[in-house]
Amino acid sequence: MKLAAYYLERLKGNKTAIIGLAFIIFLVLTALIGPFFTVSPTQVNFSEKNLPPIGFSSEQSEYSAKVGGLVMTNMHGTWKHPLGTDGMGRDLLSQLISGARVSLLVGLLATGLAIVIGAIIGVSSAYFGGIADSILMRFTDIMITFPFLLLLILIVYMFGSSLALIILSIGLTGWTGTARLVRSETLSLRTRDFVIASKALGASDLRIIFYHLLPNTISSIIVLATLSIPGAILAEAALSFIGLGDPQVASWGNILNAGQNDLQAAWWIAVEPGIMLFFTVISFNFLGEGLRDAFDPKGDYN
Amino acid sequence: MTSEIILSIENLKTYFFTKKGIVRAVDNISFDIRKGEILCIVGESGSGKTVTALSILRLVESPGKIIEGKIILDEDNLLELSPHKMQDVRGNKIAMVFQDPHSALNPIFTIGDQVSEAISAHKSCNKEDASSQATQLLELVGIPLAKERYHDYPHQFSGGMKQRVVIAMALACHPRVLIADEPATALDLTVQAQILDLFLELRARFEMSIIYITHDLGVVSEIADSIVVMYAGRIMEKGGSRDVLGNPVHPYTKGLMGCLPSEKGIIIPIPGTIPGLINPPAGCIFHPRCVNALDICRMERPPMTKITDEHYVSCFLGGVNG
Amino acid sequence: MAKIIEIENLRKYYPVTRGFLSKKRGDVKAVDGVSFFIQEGETLGLAGESGCGKSTLGRTILKLEEPDSGNILWRGRDITKSRKNQLKEFRKDCQIIFQDPKSSLDPRMTVGNSIEEALIIHDIGAREERTRMVGELLLKVGLTLDYMPRYPHELSGGQQQRIGIARALAVNPGLIVADEPVSALDVSVQAQILNLLMELKTQLKLSYLFIAHNLWVIRYISDRVAIMYLGKIVELADKDELFENPLHPYTVALLSSLPGSRNRKVLRGEVPSPMNPPDGCRFHTRCEKKLDRCVSIEPEMKEVGKGHFVMCHLY
Repeated sequence: MKLAAYYLERLKGNKTAIIGLAFIIFLVLTALIGPFFTVSPTQVNFSEKNLPPIGFSSEQSEYSAKVGGLVMTNMHGTWKHPLGTDGMGRDLLSQLISGARVSLLVGLLATGLAIVIGAIIGVSSAYFGGIADSILMRFTDIMITFPFLLLLILIVYMFGSSLALIILSIGLTGWTGTARLVRSETLSLRTRDFVIASKALGASDLRIIFYHLLPNTISSIIVLATLSIPGAILAEAALSFIGLGDPQVASWGNILNAGQNDLQAAWWIAVEPGIMLFFTVISFNFLGEGLRDAFDPKGDYN
Repeated sequence: MTSEIILSIENLKTYFFTKKGIVRAVDNISFDIRKGEILCIVGESGSGKTVTALSILRLVESPGKIIEGKIILDEDNLLELSPHKMQDVRGNKIAMVFQDPHSALNPIFTIGDQVSEAISAHKSCNKEDASSQATQLLELVGIPLAKERYHDYPHQFSGGMKQRVVIAMALACHPRVLIADEPATALDLTVQAQILDLFLELRARFEMSIIYITHDLGVVSEIADSIVVMYAGRIMEKGGSRDVLGNPVHPYTKGLMGCLPSEKGIIIPIPGTIPGLINPPAGCIFHPRCVNALDICRMERPPMTKITDEHYVSCFLGGVNG
Repeated sequence: MAKIIEIENLRKYYPVTRGFLSKKRGDVKAVDGVSFFIQEGETLGLAGESGCGKSTLGRTILKLEEPDSGNILWRGRDITKSRKNQLKEFRKDCQIIFQDPKSSLDPRMTVGNSIEEALIIHDIGAREERTRMVGELLLKVGLTLDYMPRYPHELSGGQQQRIGIARALAVNPGLIVADEPVSALDVSVQAQILNLLMELKTQLKLSYLFIAHNLWVIRYISDRVAIMYLGKIVELADKDELFENPLHPYTVALLSSLPGSRNRKVLRGEVPSPMNPPDGCRFHTRCEKKLDRCVSIEPEMKEVGKGHFVMCHLY
């Protein structure tokens, strides 16, 4: 039996993980094909501003040419904008879908970058040991002591806020956990007999690292990656929320930021991206926990 | 030997309910142990010998469960006792020593504290009494300078000395039955010999009954009064040490002995490996590895057949001495 | 007969330090001046209790650990100082099999890939050729071709050990260091593996350095036997000579502590720490026959009979 199939079989038994996985798949599909079915997220239409979502209504003051002044009208959600609109009449559903793209992009790329850096540093630190280990691990310690968000803010403040830069900075600061994990796993793996057997056969260091050490840490790396994607997503959202996000893209953090001023008049603008963030983060966490259990060799019973 | 039977196990079945199916770890076994006797349970890994020991103490953990059978000590069926009463049996009447002495001791308490704790757990006595009794026990199990070493921590002891401390803890309440699960396997040969001597001495001194679990026939020949040979959760052969070792009847017992070099220095291995216990072979569980298997062995489970008063075998070839 | 490997006065110490940038607190003298040789087609058994340094010795002569001093001569060539890229031929000729069959195979590689790796590292054969060779190796160790796509966790300990042996045999070695290859296995499987090793030895004219703590296993498989205590070989002789006529008090005690031995004498005390081995003869703290000079003067290795060496002041 292939190992991947074996783990998938074990993951299937975990309900919350499957729910998380389903939501993530749904999110990815929506982010990929959603924009073809919705209106442009940047299309402004002041006649439809601050529309509530379907099933809700809200009282709003509106300029009426008939009366020649402001009147209070009761606005209802329409199917044209099922999740409502913002203060400039832009469709929130399409904004959220575009935000999902941004969030997933940030989550996957930043985490991917962090994992690659962390794995390389961790595995070389443990495998070569000695001075290399000491230097790399002290460097990791120093990285850990920097307050993560402050560092991000500093980078973005200094170099400007483009999405690429944000992804790069989250990735370049977020590898410390992976480095430590991969190092500790490698430390125990490198004394295992199959690694020594490879050495006895004359295998090169690179061969041992890429054929034996890294593949054997891959399950922990996958778990850690799944669990750190939400962190990257939240970091981007946080940056956007305090106004340091990429102004060119509609990310969930940007929408949240824009909506916080209208919380009284149009609560949905801030609440909807919040809900999306919440479900996305919790889904990745559920999936990560599920993967951890599936990879755990002790889970054979029950 | 004709002394009274102290503990008797009847038709014990302990199964593990796993995702993949039911593991029949112990499948309908019966044996008795007499007062002052050393009974060796011999078997390879997966034979169910440890599960048997844990079942006697009712320490089998989920997904394992004792399905049926009786474990009779002093006319009480241990399997019917309330959890509270069972707790009283453990340590007081039956105690256990495990294979790995390193994990059996708590690293943050001194060994003296751990032994005296074991004493006061079951007996109401004051602190000084407990600690003086603990010192005596440590002396008894052969810890040199027991008084001075009372306040030492486990990491200051070697493996063999730790195992002696564990044995002292097991002896705290003068149990009538001591179960030792491979107590010397993790130790060096010279230390193993010391521990075996200690068991022989304890038996002689307290008329204690000892169930000694091992895979090593050499150890068995050294200390056993009687022997239970287990394979894949079932008893293959049981009887007095002299009968089983001197006149083995079951092909598995013979096979095990063939795995040790004969006087001519020849080893005859048993072919194959131990079967999976989820879908065990039908009939006699040993038949796929048995050189003498008959047709009936593939279909029916052989009953326990009496050879002499003290010697039983579960084999259709039983009695036929081939 | 030619010597396949000879070691002279080999030492391997492990420094004991605590933490980063801290001072050395001492050395664990795992192997402390050991000399012996192994001839082609011969099995040298190496017995001793845990911590005596027998596994370290096995790994050091394979240059898996760098020796601190002494010489390793492989087929007459001094390879003590050779660097990694100069060792390729040596690696092909000298292989190792391990105690724990589970840990000796990469859990994420199929059995076929594990064995094939040996061939890939040494550029042996094209892909189809290698698959055929893996198949032959599996048959050689008593398995079938169906094992190729399986993963180690699907196999029993004995089967895993057979795979480990097949991997070692893949490069056609002359010497195999067998580090406790049967002690983790069940008795009935032990016997199977021992017989397999014996058959392979005659079939392929292998030499073994067979490390074990189990004396009956050593007696069964060895031609000559060395007894190790606290980093030193204290006695070395032909198998029958050593078992019939043991001289060193430690050997005597070890043999008599075998379960079932006739005049059983239990050795008192335990092995001292290899960080601070006793002065003089290392065994004097447990020896019943110790003389005054044993406490202060370390005995030399002496040849007392033909090929029978012992390190003891009594002889």
